[in-house]
Amino acid sequence: MIKFEHVSKVYPNGVKGLRDINLEIQDGEFIGIIGMSGAGKSTFIRTINRLNSITDGTLTVDDVEISGLKGKALRQYRRKVGMIFQSYNLVPRISVIKNVLSSLVPDMPLGRVILGIFSKEDKLKALEALDRVSMLDKAFIRTDHLSGGQQQRVSLARTLAQNPSVLLADEPVAALDPVTAHEVMDDFKRINEELGQTVLINIHHVDLALEYSKRIIGIRSGEVVYDGPADEITQDILDFIYSKDEAE
Amino acid sequence: MNNNLENVLKKEPRRALQYSLIAIVLVILLAVSSPALHGAHVTTKGIEIGWNILMGILMPDTSLLFGLNDSSVAYLILQTIAIAFLGTLVGAVIAVPLSFISATNIVPRPVVIVTRFIIMAIRTVPSLVYGLMFIRVTGPGPFAGVMTLAIVSIGMISKLFIETIEDLDSGILESLDACGSTFFQKIRYGVLPQLSSDFISILVYRFDMNLREATILGLVGAGGIGAPMIFAMGAYHWHQVGAILIGLFILVFVVEIISNKLRQKILYG
Amino acid sequence: MGWYDKLFDAESYTLANGKTVSQKFTRVPLLVLLLLIAIGISVWVTGFKLTTLFTNLSGFWNIFGSMFPPKLSYFMQVWQPLLMTIQMSFFGSFFGALLALPFAVLAAHNITNNKIVNLLIRFILTVVRTIPTLVSALIATYIFGLGTFAGTVAIFLFSFSFVGKQLFEYIETVDMGAYEALTATGANAPRAFVTTIFPQILPIYLSTALFAFEGNVRYAAILGYVGAGGIGMILNEKIGWREFNSVGMILLSIFVAVVIIETVSQRLRKHLS
Repeated sequence: MIKFEHVSKVYPNGVKGLRDINLEIQDGEFIGIIGMSGAGKSTFIRTINRLNSITDGTLTVDDVEISGLKGKALRQYRRKVGMIFQSYNLVPRISVIKNVLSSLVPDMPLGRVILGIFSKEDKLKALEALDRVSMLDKAFIRTDHLSGGQQQRVSLARTLAQNPSVLLADEPVAALDPVTAHEVMDDFKRINEELGQTVLINIHHVDLALEYSKRIIGIRSGEVVYDGPADEITQDILDFIYSKDEAE
Repeated sequence: MNNNLENVLKKEPRRALQYSLIAIVLVILLAVSSPALHGAHVTTKGIEIGWNILMGILMPDTSLLFGLNDSSVAYLILQTIAIAFLGTLVGAVIAVPLSFISATNIVPRPVVIVTRFIIMAIRTVPSLVYGLMFIRVTGPGPFAGVMTLAIVSIGMISKLFIETIEDLDSGILESLDACGSTFFQKIRYGVLPQLSSDFISILVYRFDMNLREATILGLVGAGGIGAPMIFAMGAYHWHQVGAILIGLFILVFVVEIISNKLRQKILYG
Repeated sequence: MGWYDKLFDAESYTLANGKTVSQKFTRVPLLVLLLLIAIGISVWVTGFKLTTLFTNLSGFWNIFGSMFPPKLSYFMQVWQPLLMTIQMSFFGSFFGALLALPFAVLAAHNITNNKIVNLLIRFILTVVRTIPTLVSALIATYIFGLGTFAGTVAIFLFSFSFVGKQLFEYIETVDMGAYEALTATGANAPRAFVTTIFPQILPIYLSTALFAFEGNVRYAAILGYVGAGGIGMILNEKIGWREFNSVGMILLSIFVAVVIIETVSQRLRKHLS
């Protein structure tokens, strides 16, 4: 369970990223986060993985206050909160499986880390993850030979391989064409249903968000302005989420 | 519409003016550079030598060209390749740390300015001067050639390495960060794999260039195929000169083809 | 690599759901082995020894140290040969680039539709490019006598082959639409080339020629070593007489000249692209 209590985030340059966020996310939910670019969607997602630190309030994940985590404890926490980015962030000139295996590195002994030798067990984990996103047949191909959609799936597989309980995705389909975007979203949905992982996705395409998520969080100027079921969202609410902020 | 046409017309003559200005500057520079033609005194002897070299290439000394002893073309080619290969490796060993402390995304600007100035200075000294300096260290022979090429390579290798380092995709590091990697793990699995194929491809390219350089090191006694050629020329043994020139041509040509193929394979799979 | 995969079995993985995939045996050991063999042979052939290097490296630094401070007064004897070196480079680069244009056109298969001509011209360009500049300078001194002209010829040959190769490869990538349209209306090929292709290649052509010039200034500095004129003559002489202060001054002058020329030329090339 992820719990935001009066969470605020002010960037060092004074920009307010998040303002007084209060909400709870149960295990196994599929949540779409919508809002204009710059509204604070990314900041919201990134605070959960501690890529951004919050400046006020408390953020607890499974009863652990995460803003206090440091060093090894933080790295261990990140093992169970996987993150996927808009840019696939894969090393282009190595094989797909090597990219997937890189997420298993933090659990390996130093000697293997240095030499880059992976156990058969780890390779099987990586292959299983690739199979979940139907990329098994591409495992030994160079990553730069894949299309954008395929690369995003590999990126998803890399995160799955570390077996996280929460999946965070920051605009995972923004760079993809509509058909491919649907395919990748289907992967997220299937994983959420089959493995019961909590999924939080930032999407600026409202249609996609409404189609796939059960719960929608609308963010506008760093504030949560809508939090409820996807099927109860109305055009008025959308207009408000996507309206320009008069104050700024 | 008419206005448009006029505007287009107005632009036209300026181009012409620009081109004629360039032409005038070029002509003046050419006139100023004409002393470059001094010293041309083609004698019948010169023509005869030219003819002899041509004959030498057409009728090379086959025992030298196809022989296998240690003064044969085959051995000289092996030696030249060895000098270029080792020179590239040693150059890379020096260039890698130098490149990291010259990349704007790793160290602050003032440091970059200093290190780049040093690289530029290293690059300016002609290879033959390094050759003569290294002969004092290693004695004459291919060893001096290796060191010379190592130093000469630093300039270009680090220039290209720096570009690669500055193009590093920091997103990959962020992803590794997000899955709980340590600093060292990020270097090993985020930085190294990104750099390695580019680095290797750069080294293959530099090896190709070093091979050409290695063919002339013989002039200062630093080994390779160049020295016997000069001796053969000095002694007017044109058939030997021909044999060596053919060997040199095949060597450079074949290595260029292989290195192009290899780089294609490394960069595009 | 077929034999390699036959020699070493591929490793196969069976997933929990029964699917299997197999990975070819890794090439890493083979590559490492080849690299080690290549290093071993090279060390043996060249007589490379790290210990010699470290024990005698002081000799290198001694010479290097004795170049400082450079003998500034010696500049009076340096500037003339330096200027000559630049003149040689300019002259050679200019005419080399000029001659390269018709050759590049003949080598490009999309303009000159004749396989034999293409191959013949490419062969000439390759042969000329393969001969190291210093070697062609050396040969030129035998034919034209010692002096700057031999050096200019060598630079000319290099620029010709370098610009020729770069240019014909570029010509083969240009947009042919306008050219074909013009020849379809009945314009003759040379005229169509000048009005449609030439404007497309001109910036690259000029920038390649400038790039060759840049490199030539650097390279021309050593041509004097074989008696082909320029600053290399006095460089060779001063090293021979162990007047390292003067050597330092020569190198400093070359450095400054190269920096100035590269800066100007890079500006121009940026402007062109």
